[in-house]
Amino acid sequence: MRLTAIRRTVQVCLLLLLFVVPLLNQQGISLVSGTLYSFAIGPLWITDPAIGLQTLFTTRTLDLVLLLSVLLPVVLALVCGRVFCGWLCPQNTLSELADAVAARLKIRRALSPAPTPKLRFVMLGIILLLAAVVGLPLISLLSAPGILSVQAARVVLEKTVGAELALVGLIVVVELFLVRRAWCNLLCPVGTVLGLFRVRRTMKVVFSEEVGRHCTRCHACAQACQLGLDPVAGSLYPQCHNCGACIEACKIDLIRKPLFFQF
Amino acid sequence: MADAPLRPPGALPEEQFLATCIRCGKCAQACPFRAIVQADLFDGLRGMGTPVIRARQAPCYLCLKCPPVCPSGALQRNLKEKEQVRMGTARIDTKRCLAWQGTLCRSCYDDCPIFDIAIRMDDMLQPVVEPKHCVGCGICERVCPAEPAAITVWASGRQKR
Repeated sequence: MRLTAIRRTVQVCLLLLLFVVPLLNQQGISLVSGTLYSFAIGPLWITDPAIGLQTLFTTRTLDLVLLLSVLLPVVLALVCGRVFCGWLCPQNTLSELADAVAARLKIRRALSPAPTPKLRFVMLGIILLLAAVVGLPLISLLSAPGILSVQAARVVLEKTVGAELALVGLIVVVELFLVRRAWCNLLCPVGTVLGLFRVRRTMKVVFSEEVGRHCTRCHACAQACQLGLDPVAGSLYPQCHNCGACIEACKIDLIRKPLFFQF
Repeated sequence: MADAPLRPPGALPEEQFLATCIRCGKCAQACPFRAIVQADLFDGLRGMGTPVIRARQAPCYLCLKCPPVCPSGALQRNLKEKEQVRMGTARIDTKRCLAWQGTLCRSCYDDCPIFDIAIRMDDMLQPVVEPKHCVGCGICERVCPAEPAAITVWASGRQKR
């Protein structure tokens, strides 16, 4: 099974979906509608948990419809981890592409700060409190996947894009020249919220020489990780998106790698 | 701060709306008339991405397909009757209104969806808006033959002057 091939297919399908949904809406077909802030498949509503959390802070009320609609992504995060980030998010897809380009052009980043999960959670707290104080949905304005999907819909429906897209441009430039994969790895509030839903049995990348063949310490897995994580050294979470690039990169035979997904 | 723009039907009061709307664009997708567009930076930083209706280009035809799709409740989902809509109130600039200036015109009166209630013709055949019944859909503003429109909708959130 080629993990990366499947993942690329999923990523491309999602990018297409961002344009296909508004095109269908334009034709009067509204079975599927919405953007990556909130999406609807018929009566099934799916809202980004970060957006739900933010609305709790900005409105100080609990909208039952909104609450119910965040359940599915929360369950997905509890079961499979941050697979939204690694497998679906269009910003991650774009950042992966930019990183591949940077690797090809041998661009050296100016800074390489160590990922600090605590800082992420502190920043999320600050953003949420600030959103409550100013009464504006700051996470909506900082959600790169949300922005990309809304602007894709606007291209179709309004033949224009908004200034929100500047954030995406900024992220790409910073990641190309300043800090590798800075947004997903250090800042993104959407990913931070998804990272909150972790339990012991949540799907994770596990390194174990007892189950698989012996690791030769070739470090192919660490080199494959764009987020700069080292599966052999451990402590992958909450940053790891469960993209599976490390597992795929492991050169030890296909069936019994020392690196695998486990619930 | 820029004055509040015309919001889709069922919108919460402006400040509450700005805090509640998640900028997802679902209402704009649901609008069959493409009347709902998303505000950009030029409409003000606070409202960036929020749904607005530019009535002179495309008014609200009160199909009420948008309120039920709102995921955050920024548009009140239970809105069913067009008579209950309160997006704003139409105002007539009598100095530029053709009928008030002596030409025979009843474009706004004819096209008002709350027909003969929200806009009535007075004894002099001049249109008069009944603020109590006007829903603020902006159809009158759209069809007004004067340039710029002599009848315009003042959004509910707009500050009194």
